[in-house]
Amino acid sequence: MAKIPIDVLNALKKQAPRELKRNFNKEFKEKFEKTKKELIDEFTSHPVTVEISSGPFSANISGTLSGVSNLFAFIGFQNGDNPTQPILRILNGITYRESGNAKSGIGKEYTIDIPTADEIFAITPMPWATGRSWAKGIETGISGIGYLLNKSSRSSRSGVAIQAEKKIRGGRFNNTPYISALIKKYNKKFKGI
Amino acid sequence: MIEQYHHKVTNSFMLWFDHYLLTKGQAYTNISGAKCYNYDDERLDDRFEAFGSPYKQWVNDSSVDGATIANGIYIGNTPSGEYSGGSRGGLKLDFHNGRALIETNDQNLDISCDFAVKDFNIYFTNETEDDLIVENKYSVNSRTPSAIESYIEPYDYVLPAVFIAAATSKNEDFAFGGMEETTINISATVLAEDSYQLDGVLSIFSDAKNECIPLVTMADHPYDEFNDLKSGVYNYNDLSSGNPNKLFLNRTTTSKLTDKIRKSLSNDMFVGFIDFEVQQHRFRHQ
Repeated sequence: MAKIPIDVLNALKKQAPRELKRNFNKEFKEKFEKTKKELIDEFTSHPVTVEISSGPFSANISGTLSGVSNLFAFIGFQNGDNPTQPILRILNGITYRESGNAKSGIGKEYTIDIPTADEIFAITPMPWATGRSWAKGIETGISGIGYLLNKSSRSSRSGVAIQAEKKIRGGRFNNTPYISALIKKYNKKFKGI
Repeated sequence: MIEQYHHKVTNSFMLWFDHYLLTKGQAYTNISGAKCYNYDDERLDDRFEAFGSPYKQWVNDSSVDGATIANGIYIGNTPSGEYSGGSRGGLKLDFHNGRALIETNDQNLDISCDFAVKDFNIYFTNETEDDLIVENKYSVNSRTPSAIESYIEPYDYVLPAVFIAAATSKNEDFAFGGMEETTINISATVLAEDSYQLDGVLSIFSDAKNECIPLVTMADHPYDEFNDLKSGVYNYNDLSSGNPNKLFLNRTTTSKLTDKIRKSLSNDMFVGFIDFEVQQHRFRHQ
C-alpha cells in the first residue's frame, strides 16, 4: 500500500483539525450555553424555588404543605435569607473544558463540571440543624421542628410563622422531586450535546 | 400477616444499632443491688406483681464485654429466678421496662437486682421528629443518684434515648436477571442530657459507614411478650455470625440541633440526628 508522504501528512495534521476544531468549539459552546440556561430556568421556575425565593409571605404554591403556611416559614428561615441563592450560584458556575481529540472518528471531547446532588445538599443547610439539607428534605421529607420551635419561642425568625394557627406536622409534608431529579435530567442532556 | 422484608430490616437494624452503640461506645453502666419498687400495672394479668427499678432499659446482650446481664433477682439476700430448664420459675425479667414481674400476691417483697443499664435507650417509633422534640415529656435515667429513688413508669419513654424510624424506601433496577437495589432511609433522633453524650453517639454512627448489618428475622428477636429473653440468653454475635444475608450501610449523615434553637425547647435536651441510607441488592420477585 502506498504511503502518504510525510510532508502531506503534516500539512493535513496542521490544517484539517484546526478547521474542524473551530467549528466544534463554537457548536459545542452554543449547545452548552443553551442547555445551561434551560437548567437554570427550570430551577428558578420550579414551584419550590419560587415559593422559597418569595420569602415568608409566599403562598404554598409547591403544594408540599397542603396549602398551609409556606416553605420559607416551615423550614424556619430568617426574614431576609435567600436560601436558593447558593444553588443558583453553583448552577451558574457550571463550565466545560476541552479534554482532547475524540478517541474515535473526527471531533473533540469536552468535560462538563456538573455539580452532583450531594454537592448541592452540602451547601443548603437547614437553619436549625446545619448537617441536614433543606433541599434534600424537599425530596425526602422535612419535619416541622423549625416551624414549631419558631412558634413556641414567640420570636419567629421568619416573621410570620407564628401567625399560622393550623398545626403543621412533619407527617403532613408532601415530598417533591427537586434537585436530584433536576441534576439527573440535565446530566443526560449535557451528555447528549 | 406474614413477615415482610421491611419487618426484617427494622428488626435487624434495631438489634444492630443497640449492639453497635453498646460495644463501640461501652454505653452502659453496671448497677448492683438496685432496689425494685412495687406498683400497679393494669396491663399485666393478675398473677403478676410488678417491681420496678429506677432504671430502664437493661442491657440484654451477652456479647457486650463487661456488661452485667440480669439473670434473676434477690429476694432479701436470696438469689432467685435464675433461668433454668426453659424458665425462671415464677419470674419474668422485663428488660425493656427495667423491672421484675413476680407471680405472687405479696406486694411487700424486698426485691433487688444486678444489671447493666443502657446509657441510651433505644426505641422504634412512628412519631414525627417535632413530636419527639417539641411536644413529648420524658423521664430521665439519671446517672446522678437521687435522694428519693423510685421506679420509672412502665412504657414511658426515658431519656437519654435514640428514636429510630424507617422513613422512606425505594427499589431501582440494578442488574440483568431482575436484581434490584433496595434503598431504605432510616432516621435516628438522639435526645441526650449533655453535649458529651450527644457527640459520642453522633461520632460512633458517623463512623459506621460501610458497615454490614446481618438480616435477622422477627422469629429470632430475643424478647418474648414480657420483654424477657426467650431462651434465657441473647448474644448478638452468635445470632448474626455466619449470616450471609446482609444490609449495607451506604451512608450516614449526622447533625445537631443548633444551640440557638435548642435553648427554646421547654426541656433542656441536646438533640442530634443521624440519617442512615441502608441498601441491599436482591431479587424481589423471587
